[in-house]
Amino acid sequence: MSQPVLHVNHLNKVYGKKNENQFHALKDVSFDIESGEFVGIMGPSGAGKTTLLNVISTLDQSSSGTIEIAGTNITAMKQNQLADFRSEQLGFIFQDFNLLENLTVYENIALPLSLKGVSTRHIKPSVMNVAQKLGIEKIIDKYPITISGGQKQRVAAARALVHEPAMILADEPTGALDSKNAKSLMETLVHLNEKLNTSIMLVTHDPLSASYCQRILFIQDGQLYKEIHRNTTRNSFHQEILDVLAEFATSNELE
Amino acid sequence: MLVKLTLSSMRKMFKDYLVLLFGLTISIAIFYMFQTLAQNKAFVEANSLISSIMFVFHVGSFILGFITIFYIFYATSFIQTLRQKEMGMYMTLGAKKGKITQLMFFETFFIGIISLVVGIIVGVGLSIGISDLLMQQLDFSVEGFKAVYTSSILTTVIFYIILFLLTSIVNAWQIGRRSVLHLLHAGQKQDFVKVSGVKTFFGVLFAIILIGIGYFAMIEIEKLQQLGVILASVTIIPGTYLVFISFLPYFLKKLKQNRQLNEKGINSFTLGQLRFRMLNLTKVLGTVAMLIALGLGAMTAGISFYHNIEIQSSMFHANDVAIHQPTEQDLEALKSMDVTEQHTYTYKVTDDGIYFLKNKLIEDPPLVQAYNAQFELPKKQRVEDKLPASSYSLQEDAGSEELPENWWSAISTEINASYNMFGSTSVYVVDQAKYDEIDANDNEVILARVEDFKADIPQIEKIDKGQAQIAEKYRGEPVENTGSKFTNYVALKSLASGTIFMGIFLGIAFLMMMASVLMFKLLSSAGADIHRYSMLRKIGVRKSLLKKSIYRELFLLFLFPALVGLVHVIVGMQMFSFIIIEPYTKIWIPISIFFVIYGLYYLITVHLYKRIVLPKEK
Repeated sequence: MSQPVLHVNHLNKVYGKKNENQFHALKDVSFDIESGEFVGIMGPSGAGKTTLLNVISTLDQSSSGTIEIAGTNITAMKQNQLADFRSEQLGFIFQDFNLLENLTVYENIALPLSLKGVSTRHIKPSVMNVAQKLGIEKIIDKYPITISGGQKQRVAAARALVHEPAMILADEPTGALDSKNAKSLMETLVHLNEKLNTSIMLVTHDPLSASYCQRILFIQDGQLYKEIHRNTTRNSFHQEILDVLAEFATSNELE
Repeated sequence: MLVKLTLSSMRKMFKDYLVLLFGLTISIAIFYMFQTLAQNKAFVEANSLISSIMFVFHVGSFILGFITIFYIFYATSFIQTLRQKEMGMYMTLGAKKGKITQLMFFETFFIGIISLVVGIIVGVGLSIGISDLLMQQLDFSVEGFKAVYTSSILTTVIFYIILFLLTSIVNAWQIGRRSVLHLLHAGQKQDFVKVSGVKTFFGVLFAIILIGIGYFAMIEIEKLQQLGVILASVTIIPGTYLVFISFLPYFLKKLKQNRQLNEKGINSFTLGQLRFRMLNLTKVLGTVAMLIALGLGAMTAGISFYHNIEIQSSMFHANDVAIHQPTEQDLEALKSMDVTEQHTYTYKVTDDGIYFLKNKLIEDPPLVQAYNAQFELPKKQRVEDKLPASSYSLQEDAGSEELPENWWSAISTEINASYNMFGSTSVYVVDQAKYDEIDANDNEVILARVEDFKADIPQIEKIDKGQAQIAEKYRGEPVENTGSKFTNYVALKSLASGTIFMGIFLGIAFLMMMASVLMFKLLSSAGADIHRYSMLRKIGVRKSLLKKSIYRELFLLFLFPALVGLVHVIVGMQMFSFIIIEPYTKIWIPISIFFVIYGLYYLITVHLYKRIVLPKEK
């Protein structure tokens, strides 16, 4: 197998100062994501999903342990290096789209390229290329306020992809979409993953969205709790996920 | 309970409120200061010279009041934007609309009262400082001036309480009128304005035409007179607004279409922000530009007036000093001056008249100011008219010829042989024969021009005091104004100093208020920008780049009205070119004052804006 795109090693995240009430959001988490893999992170509220995503996406700093993305150790980087790293190696898709409503769809997608200092000549082909893949080339000159939620999330996906990052981090991307748009977006992600070999890490609490992944990591109370692989059809994988989530519920009740 | 909640959240937003308090305080302090100067009775009565300036102060406080009304409404609507989300939250939790309205009313009013108290205290301090400065500059005696003046305090308090009541009612009413959803989602909505091409084209065209006409009217003010002033104000004001409504958005759109520029780094974001902001701020930017023009214009005009005092004071007199019946001291004082030209004439004084000896005048004619038909500065000219008759009279008199115009001004103005000196006694110019018939003593009058009038003012002042005593003797009443060049100079100086003082203060007050209006307007929309900046930060924009974008965006927003206002002022100074000799000298003083104030506001705005929008990081 190829080199892992993400290598998380004994990661800890503690909130609060020493000698105070400390809260261990992540406890000794270790896992890898291989290049071209589509991995889901699931868990109940407060399990540490968002913390994990924030730390991996370099928005937050870990307390101990190391994270390597595409061979680079990000735990030792400074703020500005991290910002540059994010703009070059990572693509983000958020629940609330996070498009800039004062820019057109085109400009929104082009922004990561502009920030990288790509010359104007090369920006347009890249933007049009990715827009075509996501089926949004018709709305390219519109402002985000005039397009639908599903379209917005596609634009967000296009923006996450346009600079060909090492990995896409998706934080509840279907959270604000109806089931039809959610399904269509997940299919798009699968398509990107299969056809372009894009590595995707998806954080979600929606079992249906999660069922599109190849592998799912469950976390609870800051620890890796279970890992399941998809070997069968999506429907039976969906059922498998639901079973694991049911386990969570019962284990909570027993306490 | 709600009151408690409000107070605690006000404490949280203390820094934002501080900005508001600061702006209100400044406006109140300046208003109060004008009131003390305008109303201090004992002070006005003790200084007869200042009474002429009083009018200027009254006009000043009127204009200031007018601007203040405008300002307060802007500033208090800032409270509204700060608080509406929270108010919406209370309402979803079950607070009644009436209660919210009430809260909003009291909150606005409360802020008003605090700033009123602080403002009056600052205003007292300011009046003390300014009056000291004023007294020194204008040589007024401080006698009778009170910085704490009851009637001024009353005026200020009444004026502002009424204003705050009004704005509180408006604020409460506006909050009460909105739906809960509207309040909750305030700041999330983005006004989306579409600009149509045809409209833009005509807008730009009209803006250029209107401003062109206005500028033409200001430059040709000499011919157009009052019509020009009216024409300029009715064209330039709508023209300015049109520039901001159509030209600037168009300009930015063009700028954005330049892909080289737009797709470089964070430029597309900066320009996008700017463009949207511009569309929402057109009216504010137009108003700010106009008030910059007014404020800066007032300052510049004031300073130019000051510069012109000396030139103006020598408009009436070609000679610098006339000494009637010189004493030993007068002669000594004259000796110590750098005299360039000196004439001595003789005259006799009886109960019936003052008789000047014609021969002496003709042998050694003085310079006079010759006026021409146009409204131009008079030129110095030596009197050359012949005086063939044996007797001439200054006043209309059956027995004598009337004096030719230049001789008339030589006797009455240069020699000052007029009512100022001799009361209503008639003045004659007679030949030797008639002169000898008059049974009275010979008197002398010395007329002198000096190299540098300003340098010799101490001596000339002494001489003028002596002249006033002589005038008192003839007129039989106390004399303050001998009508000499010196007294003209003093009067003009005080008037011009009043004007410059007014100009500078009104100017500064305008600028401070207007710049803070812009600041409030920008900051009150900052909430909507928070998520944009946090998103940019997430996708990997360096913090320094975000800061740079903020600096640039706000810089341009501050720059446009400043530029428009500045051009207005520079062209507008042409209006004064027929009163002021060189209207552009020392124009850098008001312009630098302006840039300092404006620059400070820019930096404060950037700082506060950064605090609001930039994501917090360790």
